[in-house]
Amino acid sequence: MSDQALSPAPRSAETSHPPLPETHFIRPPKKRGRRLFNSLQPWLFISPFIIIFCLFTLFPLTFSVYLSFQEWNPVTGLSGMNYVGVQNYVEAYDDPWLWKSLYNTFWLAIVSGVPQHLIAVPVAYLLVYAVRSSLRHVLTATMFIPFITSTVAVALIFYSIYSANTGILNQMLLGASKLPLIGALFAWVPDVMPIKWLTKSDLIKPAIAAVVIWKYTGFNIVIYSAGFVTVPQDVYDAAKVDGCNRLQQFWHVALPMIRPFIFFAMTLTIIGNLQLFEEPFILTSGDTGGVGQAGLTTSYYLYLVGWEWLEMGAAAAISWILFLIIAIATSIHFYFNGRKGMEGNR
Amino acid sequence: MSSLDLLGISKSFGATEVLKNIDIHVSEGEFIALVGPSGCGKSTLLRLISGLDEPTSGDVVLGQHVVNDLTPRERNVAMVFQSYALYPHMNVAENIGFNLRISGVPKAEINQRVADTAAILDLTELLTRKPSQLSGGQRQRVAMGRALVRNPSLFLFDEPLSNLDAKLRVQMREEIKRLHAKVRTTSIYVTHDQIEAMTLADRIVILNEGIIQQVGTPKELYTKPANPFVAGFIGSPSMNLLEGKLTQSGDTIQIELDGGVTLPCPQTAPQSASGRVIIGMRPEHLHLGEAAAGAINITGRLDHVEPTGAQNHLKVKFGKNTITATDNTLQDLASNAEVTLSLPTDKLHIFAN
Ligand SMILES: Nc1ncnc2c1ncn2[C@@H]1O[C@H](COP(=O)(O)OP(=O)(O)OP(=O)(O)O)[C@@H](O)[C@H]1O
Ligand SMILES: [Mg+2]
Repeated sequence: MSDQALSPAPRSAETSHPPLPETHFIRPPKKRGRRLFNSLQPWLFISPFIIIFCLFTLFPLTFSVYLSFQEWNPVTGLSGMNYVGVQNYVEAYDDPWLWKSLYNTFWLAIVSGVPQHLIAVPVAYLLVYAVRSSLRHVLTATMFIPFITSTVAVALIFYSIYSANTGILNQMLLGASKLPLIGALFAWVPDVMPIKWLTKSDLIKPAIAAVVIWKYTGFNIVIYSAGFVTVPQDVYDAAKVDGCNRLQQFWHVALPMIRPFIFFAMTLTIIGNLQLFEEPFILTSGDTGGVGQAGLTTSYYLYLVGWEWLEMGAAAAISWILFLIIAIATSIHFYFNGRKGMEGNR
Repeated sequence: MSSLDLLGISKSFGATEVLKNIDIHVSEGEFIALVGPSGCGKSTLLRLISGLDEPTSGDVVLGQHVVNDLTPRERNVAMVFQSYALYPHMNVAENIGFNLRISGVPKAEINQRVADTAAILDLTELLTRKPSQLSGGQRQRVAMGRALVRNPSLFLFDEPLSNLDAKLRVQMREEIKRLHAKVRTTSIYVTHDQIEAMTLADRIVILNEGIIQQVGTPKELYTKPANPFVAGFIGSPSMNLLEGKLTQSGDTIQIELDGGVTLPCPQTAPQSASGRVIIGMRPEHLHLGEAAAGAINITGRLDHVEPTGAQNHLKVKFGKNTITATDNTLQDLASNAEVTLSLPTDKLHIFAN
């Protein structure tokens, strides 16, 4: 040791100590079998998922592609399948009901989607900044309840609320028209009674939209509350010192900072609203989309074609068309908002 | 620009009283450094002045106006936050220019003023970066720029240079000094760095546990500390503080230190200081070697030497205490050697205990 220290050998960083002889290291013997097991182990762990995924997702997915080029009534069994080429797609293109359902779907997606966010963002902001946190949790939980309530139950309750002769909505409107001061605003009500919310073609879509808004706004409020909570207090303080009033703090600071949350919530709304089914289905009594097909969404139409008219091939084609449309709508959303939305503040 | 008066400001968070009856008068254009140990309430005081928090009691007066009920916007104060509090979604230029934008300053003027401020702070290359793409020191300079770009009635700086390297810190310190000499905006500057406080401030306010210990010019605080806390806080290495009591034998008063050593008490001992006292000796006033008549000689045993380059800090065992002395002559001293230190009598501080 001391000999080495005294020797005049050059002492660069690499040679600062001589390497130990190779024999110094102890290598455990290699175990071949163990290595195979090690490389298989992760696959074994995820195999339950893979099996279930292949069985219930991958197979139906590919099968529906195949199916969309067949003519098939499921009652006739698998042998009743006929290859028809792209005929299902051509027929879908010429199908006025499909176009109508697409129009309805987009109408509902916009009219029931936009207000959800226009309401949820300011409500979440107020909840986070004007309400103390214990009360805020109670309120958010309450507003979340519509989202976790079964859509069928929700739709059935609204079905009775909208009922023309006995529904509480019409009763309330009538009552309002008899009130002393605001009655004047509702003077038109008795003349148009009973209002047939669910059986007049131009009222069906707004009625459905109202249910969707009611059901999903609370969900968005929860997302946006989580977003506003992430904005640190000192940034608001800086904004106050920079001369912002409450509204400017919201507009210039809070809103841009929750952009990733807005992006996420909007993505969910776009995908969800383009698949709207239960609400219109129940509110129109599962009929052919209500009077004049005013409540017929594409998912709803898909259900009619497949399960009412038993044309599985046509239904598969329509479902792929719907998928394509959702994919395009989402891509457009990603293209315009994705970069800013997903990069966040990084 | 305006004067600032704090009248009997107290602030409590629940049961904890953070600031107790703070009274300060800051003249128009004055530069005040606010120093004190961590957690003593410096940031809290700045928040009260800026209007981000309300005092539990007392008044904040800007110019002639009690501004207790005014918002930060109405008070027109600029503040550098200890945590920077940059807007993460805005780039450096937008961060710096945000106040001007909110105030409706024309775009061309905003660009000009942002560019000027960025040049002062050496941020010109970084104007298009987001805060997340900056180093800590760069962020701190952006935070600084956000304040300096404005023409406020009051500047509040909360440790604005704490994260910069020594060289940049000196450079920024000079920039601040130059800027203040030019615009003479009333400023309150929180710092942990004594040198910063001493070099920048017209007056220094020393705060401890929410109570003002002393307000004075840097020189006053150094030469006439009001209490042992201030004495120990200002000066580096910090003042040696020893406990003892005054004893009278015949005509002469002596200081009997705990541990049995006795020192002669100089004529300058304050009358009020009787009974138990704390004496203070600055390391830089303790000179090696016996001194002429009239000085106090202290003999102790050298414990160890801390070299700092320009001077050595001698740790000397004296009675049961270890005191520090600075040695500018860089003598080679044997460990455990007996050393004699001398202190001019007028440099001995005596505080009532
Ligand atoms: N919102 C608050 N609620 C409760 N206590 C608080 C709050 N803000 C500050 N305090 C307490 O007030 C005291 C003073 O805090 P302050 O931030 O003013 O210290 P400081 O002097 O700036 O310290 P530092 O030098 O570490 O920044 C601390 O003890 C802190 O815990
Ligand atoms: Mg602080």
